[in-house]
Amino acid sequence: MNTFLAALSSGTSRGAIFALVALGLVIVWRGAGIVNFAQMGQAMFSTYIASTLITNGNSYWIAFFVALISGAVLGALLDILVMRPLSNKKQSELLSSESMRAAVPVIASLGILGALQALAGIIWAAEERGFPAPAKQEGFNFAGNVLPFTSFDLFVVSIVTVTLIITTLFFTKTGIGLAMRATALNQEVAKLSGIRTNRTRTISWAISGAASSLAGLLITPTANLSPNSLDLVLIVGFTAAVVGGLDSPAGAVLGGFILGMVISFVTFFSTPEDVFLAILAVLLLVLIIRPRGILGSKDARRV
Amino acid sequence: MLKVENLVTRFGSVVAIDGVSMTAQESKITTVIGANGAGKSTLLRTISGLEHPASGSITWKGQSILGKRPEEIVRLGIAHVPEGHAVISELSVEENISMGSLFRRNKYKSDVTAAMDEMYALFPRLKERRKQLAGTLSGGERQMLAISRALVSRPQLLLLDEPSLGLAPLVVEQIIDSVNTLCRTTGLSVLLVEQNANTALGVADHGVLLALGKVVADRPASELKADATLRAAYLGY
Amino acid sequence: MRAVSKTQKKSIARTSLIRTLLFVAAILLVSAQFDAYNQGQLAVVLILFIGVLSVTLLTGISGQLSLGQGALMAVGGYSTALLMINYKLSLWVAVPLSIITSALAGLLLGVAAARLRGPYLAGTTLVIALAIPTIANRFMSVFKGDEGLPVDVGYPPQWFSNLFGEPTYEQWQLYVALPFAAIALFFASNILKSRTGRMWRSIRDNETATSLSGVNFSRQKIYVFVVSSSFAGLSGALYGLRGLVGPSVYPVSLSLLLLTAAVLGGIRSITGAFIGTIIVVFLPDWIELVLGNFELSEQVSNYLPALISSLLLILTVVINPAGVAGTRLHKHK
Repeated sequence: MNTFLAALSSGTSRGAIFALVALGLVIVWRGAGIVNFAQMGQAMFSTYIASTLITNGNSYWIAFFVALISGAVLGALLDILVMRPLSNKKQSELLSSESMRAAVPVIASLGILGALQALAGIIWAAEERGFPAPAKQEGFNFAGNVLPFTSFDLFVVSIVTVTLIITTLFFTKTGIGLAMRATALNQEVAKLSGIRTNRTRTISWAISGAASSLAGLLITPTANLSPNSLDLVLIVGFTAAVVGGLDSPAGAVLGGFILGMVISFVTFFSTPEDVFLAILAVLLLVLIIRPRGILGSKDARRV
Repeated sequence: MLKVENLVTRFGSVVAIDGVSMTAQESKITTVIGANGAGKSTLLRTISGLEHPASGSITWKGQSILGKRPEEIVRLGIAHVPEGHAVISELSVEENISMGSLFRRNKYKSDVTAAMDEMYALFPRLKERRKQLAGTLSGGERQMLAISRALVSRPQLLLLDEPSLGLAPLVVEQIIDSVNTLCRTTGLSVLLVEQNANTALGVADHGVLLALGKVVADRPASELKADATLRAAYLGY
Repeated sequence: MRAVSKTQKKSIARTSLIRTLLFVAAILLVSAQFDAYNQGQLAVVLILFIGVLSVTLLTGISGQLSLGQGALMAVGGYSTALLMINYKLSLWVAVPLSIITSALAGLLLGVAAARLRGPYLAGTTLVIALAIPTIANRFMSVFKGDEGLPVDVGYPPQWFSNLFGEPTYEQWQLYVALPFAAIALFFASNILKSRTGRMWRSIRDNETATSLSGVNFSRQKIYVFVVSSSFAGLSGALYGLRGLVGPSVYPVSLSLLLLTAAVLGGIRSITGAFIGTIIVVFLPDWIELVLGNFELSEQVSNYLPALISSLLLILTVVINPAGVAGTRLHKHK
């Protein structure tokens, strides 16, 4: 019973983080029409920046906010320096084919991921380093028993919930949110409405960058920080987004929690090696049975 | 006032507009007519910035707008309703209309709401359906929606591309009437591209006849309407 | 699809054969001038060239982006190692057999992936690339986990040494890799010019239109995966024969390396695949050549090649997506 509860609580807090990662992917997908594989590389980089600040004596919270800002800045830079020139490139025989047009941004984001990981290795070396948590990692004390739910878990779930609420409101109730959705759905009509589509896309990247930095900051305390430490998170985040529906923020949350639970239970009741296979199984299951994702709209598969 | 001089737009080796010169007069309806493939849509798309011309000039209120981005040209007062009911199906009616006035929210906050109310007054069917997704609307309603989106940006020139496409004659009449009324009451200049020359010449003040990318005739609409030889040769009736 | 007559098929085969023979001759000539280290590098080039060809066929020609080629290499590597260790087969038997197992793996992959496009395909294959090597740890008794299975190219047979003199270890690696690379080149060249190649290109260029014209898409897509996986498996088998087959030998970065090589060199041609492989294999050496005078910390020099190749990848994709070989105008791409 205890293991079950432990798995449940671990699944919840992990699920919250995966939801965040998936959300970042969904934001870029909805805002810019591509899947950003470099996302966790950005997160890793921001977390390293935070780590450096902490090592130099700054408080966790200062480092936290600097990391979020640097994540946003990094995201914006990537859009301006790489993605925008890419989408402006009309001349090329290569890009006349449907599949290459879809593949090229993916390849670019993979290149960015590689560059960020290599850069992190050069700046900070590949040794793993720890990363602090702002809250205790011991379980709560309740009626004399120690619950498998820690205050850090609570912190994670609260922050993610707040972020999700803010994001949903942002997309549906604000002008910028509308501009972002319009840009993603039909760039031409958006432009003809006076929306500055380039700027809007950059904002999507910045927000996504901040969200993924947040995810990186939240998950790293339970693991260790190294240039490749967040690779697994990317895979899970991607799967979560696909499971939930690539164009649905609510789906991202749902997918994140489903995957969090799956991974948690597999880890607790089977061996850690099975985790990757479990993720693969979930991914294939969704793609075969309901390709658009649980909450995805019919157009979610539009590439 | 919009002035186009010797405009040339190419797609690869195909010349879509071949040295077109014309003027859209202030507060008047100018119509561009011609057979399919004459270059009418390309002309509008080049003016609104969606296509880049190879050569020529486009002047709006005395300033060149050549090479400007579409989103900037909208802010200068030219609104383009492209052909095919350019609305975003996945957004609601209200959101589609709001899109057009997003860039005005900072400066003209109160006017934004007023503009939207005016659209609902002009097209009551849209008001009924304002929370519905645009994809669920009929063809005529979608065209009204597209026009509303353009109008809330408070343009001085409206580029209207084939509003009659795929619509029943009664609906077309309604829409063209609304546009006509707008022009006469608010002084909105309209550049109307139409395949249905008869309808277009019925409301227009001035007509430009395009064939194979070139201007064949540039005259008051009444004259064009009366010229049977020209009509037979280029418009088929 | 225009049918290809028997005479056309023969002439395609003949052109491919000539290309292959020229290739073999060039490699032998060049390698004779190299020192042992560079001969070893050249052997790696030949081995990875086969792997890059798998990317060229899959992504360049049929437009399907897969990030799991490294996993398929692992399948080939493990098959060869297990056959050689458990059944005492010679590499000349084990390696061809591994091609079959890789083809089967490709069949499975193709069936799973045929419905997927763009980022979905890329992401799924990425997950596969990460998942497959964990099997090695799951079934440790068979696959020996992280420790891996040691195999190598062994020694040249007596008749060979008698005929050609005793080759160095690196030379022998080269001589083992060369016939396989030649065969791979022959088949790739053949496919590219054949009717199959045209069909694959039509999948890439305009899937919607082609499917409407009645071509059975899924079957062709799966076929591409089978063929491409065979190439990858062969490459992986030879790659493992450098000394060890284990999860550390086939990391995710290997898949990205193949992709990078294909894109840099030119993703649509065999020439591009070769150029890209050379760049990717010799880049660390070139970097050291240029920067050797500067005192670089180990930290920097470890990661610099990866950084530079990633930046090159980004630059290529943004500025000249066709890659080195693609900048010249080719008719049949």
